[in-house]
Amino acid sequence: MRNKPTEVAHGLSPHIRDRVTTKGIMSDVTIALTPAFLGSIYFFGIQSVIVVLTCVAACVFAEYIWQSLRKEQITAGDFSAVVTGMLLGMNFPVTTPIWVLVIASFFSIIVVKQMFGGIGQNFANPALMGRALVVLLWPGTISQYVATNHGGLDATSSATVLSLIKGGKEIVDYSYWDMFIGNIPGALGETSKLLLLLGFIYLCFRKIVSLTTSITYIITVVAITFIFGQDGFFTGDILTNLLGGGLLYGAFFMITDYASVAPRVKVTLALIAGIVTGIIRVWGIYPEGVCFGILVANCLSGLVEWILPPHIYGVGLKKEK
Amino acid sequence: MKLFGKTNFHGGVHMGDGSDKELTSNDKMIIYQPKTVEISMKQSGGRPCNPIVNIGDRVIKGQVIGTPTGFGVANIHASVSGTVMDMVTNKESQDNDVLVITIEADTNNGDDQLDTEIPTDQDYHTGFTDISSFSKEDIISSMKDGGLIGMGGAGFPTHVKYETDKTIDYVLINAAECEPFLTCDHRLMLEFGYDILNGVNLLLKASEAKKAIICIEDNKIDAANYLNDLLLEQGLPIEVKILETRYPQGGERQLTEAVLRKEVPAGKLPADIGVIINNVATAKAVADLMFANTPLIYRCITITGKVKKPANYFVPIGTRYSELVELSGGFTTVSNRVIVGGPMTGNGILYNSGISELEGSVTKTSSGLLVLEDMTIIESPCIRCGECERVCPAGLAPYKIDYAFITRDYDLCEKLHSTECISCGCCSFVCPAKRELAYRTTGARYTVANIRSKRRDKQNEK
Repeated sequence: MRNKPTEVAHGLSPHIRDRVTTKGIMSDVTIALTPAFLGSIYFFGIQSVIVVLTCVAACVFAEYIWQSLRKEQITAGDFSAVVTGMLLGMNFPVTTPIWVLVIASFFSIIVVKQMFGGIGQNFANPALMGRALVVLLWPGTISQYVATNHGGLDATSSATVLSLIKGGKEIVDYSYWDMFIGNIPGALGETSKLLLLLGFIYLCFRKIVSLTTSITYIITVVAITFIFGQDGFFTGDILTNLLGGGLLYGAFFMITDYASVAPRVKVTLALIAGIVTGIIRVWGIYPEGVCFGILVANCLSGLVEWILPPHIYGVGLKKEK
Repeated sequence: MKLFGKTNFHGGVHMGDGSDKELTSNDKMIIYQPKTVEISMKQSGGRPCNPIVNIGDRVIKGQVIGTPTGFGVANIHASVSGTVMDMVTNKESQDNDVLVITIEADTNNGDDQLDTEIPTDQDYHTGFTDISSFSKEDIISSMKDGGLIGMGGAGFPTHVKYETDKTIDYVLINAAECEPFLTCDHRLMLEFGYDILNGVNLLLKASEAKKAIICIEDNKIDAANYLNDLLLEQGLPIEVKILETRYPQGGERQLTEAVLRKEVPAGKLPADIGVIINNVATAKAVADLMFANTPLIYRCITITGKVKKPANYFVPIGTRYSELVELSGGFTTVSNRVIVGGPMTGNGILYNSGISELEGSVTKTSSGLLVLEDMTIIESPCIRCGECERVCPAGLAPYKIDYAFITRDYDLCEKLHSTECISCGCCSFVCPAKRELAYRTTGARYTVANIRSKRRDKQNEK
């Protein structure tokens, strides 16, 4: 019933409204993701366009079909499904089979988003849930990371920087600069930190995301991986952890997603996500941990909200005198 | 939280660039005396007044023509001398028994000249006046007789605030004027500085408070400087405090929080923590009342927005809105919406129509008449961005109350403290999904309040 348009009287106060709209916010996120998307074409070739567009088209289509069948207000055009599609597509390596992408897109939109009540009602970030599904069900399909077209190496299978570290290997092929500009194997959107940063600066400039949440998350992960380094305490490689994987992608575009509601608890949730990600990176079997870290935080948002109740004006004041 | 040396309250919105206020803030207010006035027997919330004149009666300016029938309402006076021509039931109002009294003003000595002069030559207009001849009781009983009510919008009778048995420490003079577009208080301060300060002196005496603080937002720095200059070396316990421009700074609870760093407990009045809050226009009215024996029959109103010549007018209560719009050169847009009050909390009274269809007249609480382009709002689903919660000055989660109210889960509304909503409209203003959050949160506020009072009645019966 939530997605049915509600009839209300004409001319309710307030008589002026802010210009910001849902569509505006979602288009801004799309714009912010564009540099990283274009970067992925440069690094991984035209196939990356097919990967991302497949996800976007599948997401929008899934949303449209669901809402038409349920005779709900069609919000497929509000760019929110486009954002989910882009986030999802850029989360996969360029070698991911099309059928996996389509299934992940439908799962994200229909199961995670619409079945929980549509936009805003999803308990977790749909794109991350889509990725999590694939990681759990068909891990083989997304394990083929390839080197970039500009790495001086052949575009053959290769491991990501973080999985190399996880395997206890030395990083020899990639410099920190490579990691920063994105000249490393990895998921499409996450490799170029420079382009992600560009998009994030745009989002901050448009006041769409909160800087504190992202920074809390980044600092927590970096701190944990530094403290519990592989060669004993305080030996972790800060820059590799920061630039080597999907940390910035998650911090800039995933943890800031609206599924994690109330602003006052967002920082706490970012802290939780950071701790979980850090633990996975240090002790877990996955090299990355960003996806699960943020999903855990998404699921705990209700609990954190309950533990940290808001202060209501004039309620629960200490008695004076 | 202290920001840039200016105190602040929780939440709120910084609105626009102030260009809306500049439409009217730089020009002197225009004094206008209409030939006829239409005085409504309902000037504020509460039950309408009982008229005590009849058609054909001659009334003189300042004579009582309506008396209260319930709590929280004040006397109503004739704002011109003349003859009662008509008494009709107001069609626009939801209350079926609100009478509107039409008075046609006398012409002076058969001359066509009306009594256009609002006296501004008294002592209290040009300097500080001795108030030692008035006692606290004098002032409070005059407030009651003179029909003084809060002129900021809520319209609560002033004398009731002062009849408290609590010890009052501070009188806050609310000159925040945080609503966009409105500038009537701004102009009032610039043009009636001494009147206001003398009035504040009287309010201090009536409350026996130790200090009065005039609270002004930093977009009216000229008014603050002017009042400060007047106060220089006077040794009066009156302070001018500059606040950040932020809506709803002028909500009395928010003002208390911003200025005194104290919150008014839920369900209590500011007097319970030793504070009385009056609008700056009320301060001027109390000066008029005590020094010139004029009850509350004039006010300043901002006519602004989509009219040819936006301006502030100083007019008798009962001046027809249509006359004021015509004076301002008429509407400049066909798809208009006319709002009484500010754009955030005002009531829309006319949509997509001409001046001839504009009904209603100036009341003691009409701070502005605003003409805006009409707009249609289509609601879309909440995206849980949390903006409404971030801006809510009461600390509520409007998006949750919105859902609870739609599903008629009033228990949940109560648990979400919907009674603490102040109906400021910030949530609807910022909502990117354009949900009517303020409308439904306000609905939840009153529904829960009703349920609570019924519950209390039941308990009392037992």
